[in-house]
Parts: sequence; C-alpha cells; structure tokens
Amino acid sequence: MTPQTGRRLQPRRFLLLALVLAGALLFGLVAGHEWASPARLARAFANSGGHDMTSQLLMVWRLPRVLAAAMVGALLGVGGAIFQGVFRNPLAEPYLLGASGGAAIGATIALLVPLGLPGGPVLAALSFLGAWGATWLVLGAAGLQGRPDTAGLLLAGVAVAAMLGAVRSFLMLALSDDTVNLQVVLSWTLGGVQTPDAGGLAILALLTAGALAVSLPLARGLDLLGLGDDQAFAFGLDPARFERRAVLVGAAVVAAAVAFGGLVAFVGLIAPHIGRWLIGPRHRALLPASALIGAALVAVCDGVARAALPPAEIPLGLVTALIGGPFFLILLMRRLRA
Amino acid sequence: MPLLLAAMAWLAPGAGGAGAAAARQPWPVQVTDGIGRQIAIARPPQRIIPIFASNAELAAALGLSDRIVGVEAYTRFPPELTSKPQIGGRLGFSVDAIAAQRPDLLIVTPARQAMHQLIDPMTRLGVPVIVLLARDVGEVLGNLRLIGQATGEAAKGEAVAAALQARLDKVAAMTPARRPSLVMLTGRPGNGLALIARADTYTGDAMVRAGGRHALVRSVVAQASPEAVIAADPDVLLFAGRGEDLEALKAQPGWKLLRAVREGRAWTVTRAEFLIPGPRTVDGIEKLAARLRGVTMEGGQAGAAAANPGQDQP
Repeated sequence: MTPQTGRRLQPRRFLLLALVLAGALLFGLVAGHEWASPARLARAFANSGGHDMTSQLLMVWRLPRVLAAAMVGALLGVGGAIFQGVFRNPLAEPYLLGASGGAAIGATIALLVPLGLPGGPVLAALSFLGAWGATWLVLGAAGLQGRPDTAGLLLAGVAVAAMLGAVRSFLMLALSDDTVNLQVVLSWTLGGVQTPDAGGLAILALLTAGALAVSLPLARGLDLLGLGDDQAFAFGLDPARFERRAVLVGAAVVAAAVAFGGLVAFVGLIAPHIGRWLIGPRHRALLPASALIGAALVAVCDGVARAALPPAEIPLGLVTALIGGPFFLILLMRRLRA
Repeated sequence: MPLLLAAMAWLAPGAGGAGAAAARQPWPVQVTDGIGRQIAIARPPQRIIPIFASNAELAAALGLSDRIVGVEAYTRFPPELTSKPQIGGRLGFSVDAIAAQRPDLLIVTPARQAMHQLIDPMTRLGVPVIVLLARDVGEVLGNLRLIGQATGEAAKGEAVAAALQARLDKVAAMTPARRPSLVMLTGRPGNGLALIARADTYTGDAMVRAGGRHALVRSVVAQASPEAVIAADPDVLLFAGRGEDLEALKAQPGWKLLRAVREGRAWTVTRAEFLIPGPRTVDGIEKLAARLRGVTMEGGQAGAAAANPGQDQP
C-alpha cells in the first residue's frame, strides 16, 4: 500500500481544506451579476431583514444558491470517490453507469410533459429516480449471468448510457414545443443550481449529511478492494456483494447531486484525485476530503458562471469543465514531473 | 378588434383570387430572399408549402390559404390550415412528404435544420425555396411583401404590410416619452437560468415598439442570471407562457423582491404573439402597449424613472 497507510485523519490538511472551502464560499457570495465587496456582504448579513434591495438579493437569492452549489459539489465529490474506489480506475466518474443518461430522461419528462404538478420538486424527484434507476438497470443487465466483473459492469454502463442518450434525444424532439423549450432541457443537461427555498436547502443539507453518513462505512471495503479481490476476500470482504452495495450508494449520492444541480461535469472526476494527492488513498479521509474539494470547486465555478458574462449566466457544467479541465491538467503535469 | 382587422385584411378582395393579380404580374419573377439568394419563380405558385407557423401565418394573411398544400406539425393557426397535409415537424421534415404534395414554392426559416434538410433536395427537384428571416418586426412586415412578390400577390402583400405598419405607427404615436423598463421571460427556468427575450431579436423589438425599454440590454445569450433580472428590477416583468408557470416562478426564492411582482405588474403575454414572427405580433404589440400606457399613467414618473437610468433604450 501507499506510504499514508498508517496515517490518521491528518487534521491539518483538513483544516486547510476547510479554509479553502470557506474562501470558495466567500468568493461565491462576492461574485455575481454585480460584485459585492466583503463589507457589502457584512452589511447584508447585519441588515438581513431590511428593505435594501442589494442586501435582500444577497441573502434571499445568492446565499442559498452558494450553499446549494457547495452541497451539490460535495455530493459529486463523494460519489466520484466511491466510483473510483469501486472500479479501481482513476478515470471512473460518477456518471459512468448511466446515471447522467437516466437523470436527463427524468429531467426531460419533468420539463417537457405538463404533469400538473409543482415543477421544482418534480424535476428533482424525476432526475433522482432516473439517475438511480439507470444504475439499477446497469447492475441488473450486467448481473443477469451471475456475478459481473468490473469490465462487464463498465460495458453494461456504456451500453445503457448510449440507449438512454438516444431515448432522451428522442423525447426532446418528440415532446418539445416549437419555440424555446428545447433550450430549457439543453441548459439543464449542462448543469446549473437553482436557488432553493428554505425547505429545499434543508432537504439538500440532510441529503449531503446523509450521503457522508452512508458513505463513510464503505471506506474500509473500498480500501480493501484496492488490494485486489483475493486480498479483500482474505480480509473477510465479499467483493461482489460489496461492489454492488457501494455502486448503489454512490449512484444514490450522485443522483441527489443531479436532482439539485443538473449534470455538472468533471467535478466527480477531479475532486477525488485532488483529494488523493492531498490526503492519500485511505477512503476514511478521502471521502470527506473529496466532499470538501468538490464543494469548493462547485462554489467557485458557480460564482464564475454568474459573474463572467453579466447579465447572462453560463451553464455551470460548462464552467466546471472549462476551469476544472486546465486546473486538473496543471496538477497532473506537476505530478507526472515529480 | 385587432383580430377582426387582421381577418378583414385576409378577406379583402385584393387580387380577386389567385388568378387576376398574378396574371398581371410579369412572369418569371426574381426575388431576393432573407439570406440574399436570388430566386427565380417561373409561374405564379399554386401549391405552396410554408414551413413553420410564422411562415404559414404570413402566407395566410395574404389570402393564400387555398394554395397551401402542406404545413408542419406546429402550425395551428389560422384554423383553416390545421387540416392541411403534414410534412413533418417534431422530428424534422420529410422530403418525401413534401415532394408528394408536388409543391411549386417552399417558404422556410433557418430553424430546426429546415434549411439544411430542404434547400438542396428541393432545388434539385426544381422547387423554388425562399428563406425568410425575422430579426425585427420591420423584417416580418418585409416578409409579407416578399411572399406577395413571390406568389404574384405583390399588391396584396404591400397592402397588408402597410395596414400592419399603420397600426404600429398608431401605437408609436401614443407611446409616452417615459417608457417602463421590461424583462420578458420566454421559458420557465429548468436549472436556475432565466431565458429572456434579448433586445436584438424581433421579440425584443416588439417590446420596444409596444412602448417599453429593455431593463437588460447587454445579454450575450438568451440565458440570463435570475440575479441579474432581479437586480435590474424592471417596471414590468413579462412571461411568455401560462399563468400557472408564472405563479410557480414568482414562488421561487428572490422573485418576490421584484417591484413588478410585488406591485402586480408581472404579466403573461401570449407566446403566439411574441414568439411567432407573424401578423399576430402586431396584435400583441397593441395589447402590450395599452397595458404599458396604464403603467405609465398609474406610476407617474417615479416608477419608470427609478430603474436603471443608464440603460435607456434609444
């Protein structure tokens, strides 16, 4: 195993990550259509019940959105760490097993079919069900002939994702009205956090805390999987059963992120990598570290999405890929050189 | 009333049927379409396929409904066109279905791949295709003249366009000097972004012609940040869509901060009037203008002057 094997949780590194997240949240609050100085923010916090428009906008609209963006990022980070652990593959990302395709179908139906139900909750519920359902479909398809190996799961994931993508495209064409609705679906697939109300924010906070709570018990198993199936078995782990459980947990975590943030690209891939470089490969530390890093990344990118081209807003997924890509490449090159 | 006027314009005996005026016009005619192509039309077209609701409405406004032999799935107005054979729509356009109608003129707009899918095969089949653009309301009226020339109904095209222009002039003459600031949302937000009508589109032009000015003038894309819309605090928030979707939007965090929402000036407008660039747009402009005049009178100077004085639309 790696040199970090024996280390404990490394509180100093976590403190650093917490500071980075705090900085990212502050950036998210400052950035926007109009930049707000920290002093302006402080006044808004002090004056949260007042009638001043800017203060109210910061408190009622921007603050919940920044918090929601950070929590979506945390969920993606945790989901990504689980998927990379299960597949023992650094290219594994949370949308690998069809979650994005399934979520997009759910969202397409929610956005284009008049269901006569409140829009926001239906969109979140259907995209969650789509994302999680797609993963069940992949597990079912790959497991038809007994225990699926990792390659079998991945191939089933690719096939299901292709099918779901086609169904989604067909639904978009068949259900859309003539004018602008397609744009709504397209922009959803590019990711973006909608400012939640207090109830929505509370649900998201519960989901994020719950995601960490159900993921942390997977840490030991994910570590053992990294040793190879035989070793893991020798340590008392049934790799097949564990993989299945971990994938379902990971997919549920990602589905929660998708329900609140659409298809935000790249964060689930890079957050665990950065976490591994900073904290090491032990999942007990890596899972919360990935959450912190994902949260910071999405909070910053969401701020950039709102501030780069005012009054327009760039879909969040484009920003995460555009900023995350080069950032990740620089880290990667440094690491390769070292 | 505007609908009645429009109906009278259609019914007006401009040419005495397809024959008389077309016969007077020398054939073949050469027209320049919206993208600058020179199109030669050999004979007065008798089998016309207008693709997209806007082009069908324009052709119908010139009294050409009887000569229309096919429409696409989204064409739902005027009623006499809904029973025409369908040549595609949701999933694209069928060259076969179009060819089966033996058209002698196709009118398209560069949307949903129509140009790329249809111009080349139709040209090979010898069917003239004219492409119409609608970048502002003036161009929409120009499209009526262009269709008139291409179909041998030039006088009718001129008359209908002039009648609509006269109505626009009347609206312009009544527009108060102080224009309320507007934002129009053209779709319900799916992931937090607000789709808005940009100033440099025909919808944006219609809003200005109705007597408003844009609260957000610089938008690179149609997706605005709700934060920007809320901060712009327009005098009137327009929503092109259903009332229940507007209510759902107003319930989302932040939107109640808008003066327009709090003071009852978040209104729906009809999508067909503001998102289909046809003759009904003038109806929409007249209706919106009447409501905006009410705002100016009720709010006096204060409301309109308060919002972003630096972003005045010329």
